[in-house]
Amino acid sequence: MYYWKCWRDTRSFFIVFAIIAVVVMPVAAVVCVGTGLLENFGSEAFRSTFALIISFVALALGALCASEEFAGSTIHFLFTKPRSRAYFLWTGWAVGCAELLAIALVNWAAGSLTLGHYSKNPLHSAILDSAMIQQLAGAAIYGLYIYCMTYSLTVALRNGLRGLGASMAIVFGLPFCAIAVRWRWKINLPIPTVPIASLSPLTSNIIWMVVALLFVFAAQLVVEHSEI
Amino acid sequence: MNDVAIRTEHLTKSYGSIHAVRGIALDVPRGAIYGFLGRNGAGKTTTIKMLLGLTPPTAGSAQVLGMNVATERIGILQRTAFVSEKKSLYPLLTPSELVRFSRGFYPTWSDSAVEKYSRLLEIPMQQRFAKLSNGNQTKVWLLLALAQGADLLILDEPTTALDPISVDQLMHVLAAIALDRGCTIFFSSHQLEEVERIAEYAGFMDRGQLLLQSRLDDIKSEFRLITAAGNSLPAQTSTQVLSVGFEGNFYRYVVTSDAEGFAAGLSRGGATVTDVAPLSLREIFLQLVQKER
Repeated sequence: MYYWKCWRDTRSFFIVFAIIAVVVMPVAAVVCVGTGLLENFGSEAFRSTFALIISFVALALGALCASEEFAGSTIHFLFTKPRSRAYFLWTGWAVGCAELLAIALVNWAAGSLTLGHYSKNPLHSAILDSAMIQQLAGAAIYGLYIYCMTYSLTVALRNGLRGLGASMAIVFGLPFCAIAVRWRWKINLPIPTVPIASLSPLTSNIIWMVVALLFVFAAQLVVEHSEI
Repeated sequence: MNDVAIRTEHLTKSYGSIHAVRGIALDVPRGAIYGFLGRNGAGKTTTIKMLLGLTPPTAGSAQVLGMNVATERIGILQRTAFVSEKKSLYPLLTPSELVRFSRGFYPTWSDSAVEKYSRLLEIPMQQRFAKLSNGNQTKVWLLLALAQGADLLILDEPTTALDPISVDQLMHVLAAIALDRGCTIFFSSHQLEEVERIAEYAGFMDRGQLLLQSRLDDIKSEFRLITAAGNSLPAQTSTQVLSVGFEGNFYRYVVTSDAEGFAAGLSRGGATVTDVAPLSLREIFLQLVQKER
């Protein structure tokens, strides 16, 4: 029931971006046939497209999944249903997260097949080598981080636009802050997509996933203690 | 089985220096229709929010259907239907989709009730909520509450934006479900005529205080307007005399108890008592509120 409602709210967006995720690489490949760009820069282009699509979808889904549910006007209706507030929060989050994952998988599959087809290699080595997988996993976890943060901020601020704005400010502002801190105090602030200190990329990614989930737990605390 | 549907003890809600609800003690019998009356900002909605666990009280406690609001919120919500003061819902969903959404939350949900009330209230079930008129939006809230099969209906200003015919239908429906199913109906309103039509019990709120609560018949039999003419009649209010007015040559006393005794006293003092009349709920409410000011 509530899963259906969350799907109902986001399905149009999901379908549009799933289509974009499917067609972007094949279209780019068709346009570039014969130029040599595909062979030389195909993997790079794929990685960039993947990161861009995931980041954008994460921002948009984070705001979309929570904006209507936790807005002032309908919250009376939702929170007088016989379920805990945490149930609504995590169900909405799970639906958005599944959609984000589906778009990531679709984009990865389409990109992989496209590059495999045009390089005459069904299992395109540039897509499946460990460094590339690591980069794609890093981009996916960064997407999860953005999604969780945007979702949590939208829940806490009870407004889609404010949540999106605050999240974008952090996403785009944090790297500049990190640079400023490093320049002024010689301290390396941990930022997503960059391994933390001397930790391995895997450990760093796990830490960033935990941080992403902590945002949602924080939003749960806010929702459970807020006055409606 | 507990024979009280709602009971609060010293229920208080403050927002900083603003005291929205000041230590009220509600008693709503099971199976009763209870009209919760008060002006805008009297504290009705805040009280309702506390009863549903939407907002925690600053002090005091509340029990709904024998369950503690602070610890058994989910249990209460399973058996309680609610119509909010704000009648907004998901704008892109149709009433049919809202029914589909709500159905799964309640084991006691009745599709036949949806069929019956959607037809009775003439709700366009396939039109998006945002496209519905204000009156129809209110009706959708009512439909969802009525189909829930709840033991308790808490309705916050349920007749907002409804036309007189729909109000009439709603009053009939509420009276019928209270009678047939023994459902308790607790509804807030400042439309006193509506309350007077169907409520058995009434509570008057003003400035966060519960001024009076009792059976409606008892309230109406308690208050009397005594009109008298004469010289040197008493012009002060007391515990018995709620207000004293003067019109032409007549004194008008609103008394809260033993009206006959008071009238007899006036007669003994040489006054001519011309009328001892009951007051409407509206007049009683106005008198009580004015006294508190």
